[in-house]
Amino acid sequence: MLEQLGNGLLLGVIIALGSVALSLLYGVTRIVNFAHGEIIAFGAIVALFFSSSPDSTLLYLDRFSPLGINFSTSVILSILLSGVFGGLLELCLFKPLRKNNFGNIAVLVVTIGLSIFLRHVYLLFASAKPTSYILELQRREDYFGVQLTPRNVQVLIIGFAVMVFVGIFLTYTRTGKAMRAVRDSSDLASISGINSDYIILVTWVFSSMLAGFTGIIQGVINNVRWNMGFLILLLIFAGTVLGGIGTSFGAMFGGFIIGILVQLSVGLEFMDGHTEAKNAIALALMIIILLVRPQGIFGSKDRIS
Amino acid sequence: MKKYIIAFFLLVISFLYIFLSNETGGARVFVNLMTFAGIYGLAAIGINVHFGWTGLLNFGHAAFMGIGAYTTVLLIPHSLGREGVVISSGLPLPLAILIGILAAALLGLFLGLPTLRLRGDYLAIVTIAAAEIFRLLVRDFEDLTGGVYGIIQFSDSLQNSRPDFITRFGESYDISPSQFWVGLLTWISIIVVLLILSRLKKSPWGRALRAVREDEDAVRALGKNAVLLKLQSFMLGAAIGGLSGIFLVFNYGTVQASTFVPVLTFYVWAALILGGVGSLAGPALGAVIFWVIIAGTDSISRFLFESPDGQQLAGVRFVIVGLLIMFFMIFRPSGILGKKEELLLDVK
Repeated sequence: MLEQLGNGLLLGVIIALGSVALSLLYGVTRIVNFAHGEIIAFGAIVALFFSSSPDSTLLYLDRFSPLGINFSTSVILSILLSGVFGGLLELCLFKPLRKNNFGNIAVLVVTIGLSIFLRHVYLLFASAKPTSYILELQRREDYFGVQLTPRNVQVLIIGFAVMVFVGIFLTYTRTGKAMRAVRDSSDLASISGINSDYIILVTWVFSSMLAGFTGIIQGVINNVRWNMGFLILLLIFAGTVLGGIGTSFGAMFGGFIIGILVQLSVGLEFMDGHTEAKNAIALALMIIILLVRPQGIFGSKDRIS
Repeated sequence: MKKYIIAFFLLVISFLYIFLSNETGGARVFVNLMTFAGIYGLAAIGINVHFGWTGLLNFGHAAFMGIGAYTTVLLIPHSLGREGVVISSGLPLPLAILIGILAAALLGLFLGLPTLRLRGDYLAIVTIAAAEIFRLLVRDFEDLTGGVYGIIQFSDSLQNSRPDFITRFGESYDISPSQFWVGLLTWISIIVVLLILSRLKKSPWGRALRAVREDEDAVRALGKNAVLLKLQSFMLGAAIGGLSGIFLVFNYGTVQASTFVPVLTFYVWAALILGGVGSLAGPALGAVIFWVIIAGTDSISRFLFESPDGQQLAGVRFVIVGLLIMFFMIFRPSGILGKKEELLLDVK
């Protein structure tokens, strides 16, 4: 069972980062964003496009050839572009909807449409078969009894660092405080002179950069494919719900729990030969949590009634 | 009245498009399209009971369709795909269908109990997760469901009841008689279901449901059990979904885990939004128009790519589906036949 712990931590860091981004956006905008997975995939695919060597046939339409930039530059560019992408979504789609008083459910259905649309644009433009970044293969080594490749250890450390950074950002910076203020009560925040449109835009950009980063991490750990965002989205929902939707710390915690649980369940005896069912366990846990403690572990009750 | 005229013209244009764009075999294409439209329309009628009548966001309709289909198919003579078991005896088909529908309603009860107390958007997440759980379990428990190889050779139970004149009619117009029979039964079911629903909608129960959609607290204040009403609506819609799933697998002639993927639900939602949330016949109309649009997107694919493969065809189809859902939700949330006042667009 312990050999799965490494995989669990890796899946956990992906889900935790994705959950923080989703939860932040939900907290500030009240949008249950089903297109979140597609922003994650956006980051991964853009980084793949930037970093793959120009002569590889990566993309479906052969008139585009990858750029072949070095990997770290690609990652930074891709995170920035994910932020721009999220900002554009807010400015071109969600802000007009908000100004026209669209209800939450209407917006939710719109995000589902957006998710289907984007995902299949990726299918048309990016390779349908799972593709890896051009990074050399590494052997697993033993870290305190947990088997991981050196690169995945780096990924874990960077992932943790980013989460600490997000925590500090939300707690101590002016913008972070303003985000939390809008999250708790947008009316009171406006009265205190916070420009809520600006904060929502910042949240979209920030959350999308985080999502894009999540996608790159997912791509490094596993691989890049057109529907990777949708595959991870449900687990991210599970992590968010477990930790408490709208809370950042809870989302991180819930994400890790879900990731570790999914991977550890592979080692269970009754799961023998049922590899697909591991995701079902996480989703079932989410439904049970909703049954016994719908606000999640760290959530407050007023968010769910 | 105006919207019915628009709907009529849209239908006429759609049918003309089918026959004009297929010089040979137009009838065959038409029957194929109408069969799928009927099945998706029936499924959309189920979601309409949830969303249009009661304001419940169900994004896991594929699970209800799937459990209905699997239950029915497993109860009649069938064989599991790829060297699986052959079971040559079983229940009579009508009884199996009835149990299938009940199974879907029971899944509705099982899912509804924990979640219907929660706010609307949670239900969306839970239902989509439940559909995924269902699909993963079906895929993994191969002994029972045939997994990815699925279940085959169950169609005879339905096709044996096909009257001779359908067979003769099919043969003389170059239509697949078995598909024609499935399509015919589907549309008969739609009419029956719509007749029942139109009675229900006008009944005190139907009015109470719409009251739940508008203001749950007010319903509670009047002494009605809002959660129970929602549960009943959830089970009713799930049962209709189960029936549509049964027709779906009889139309394919096989059923695999991949039949009930999440995108199936989104297709049905697109049909519902197109036709008009809350209106009775809207979902069925929406499904017809939706399938004509899907047929149209294939010619877009042929325009974009010289010889599109399955992946490109599916890609273009779903790009259009996503755009349709967004476009209608933003610019005409009431669809072709719906009423804007009848829509629940805000969370409660």
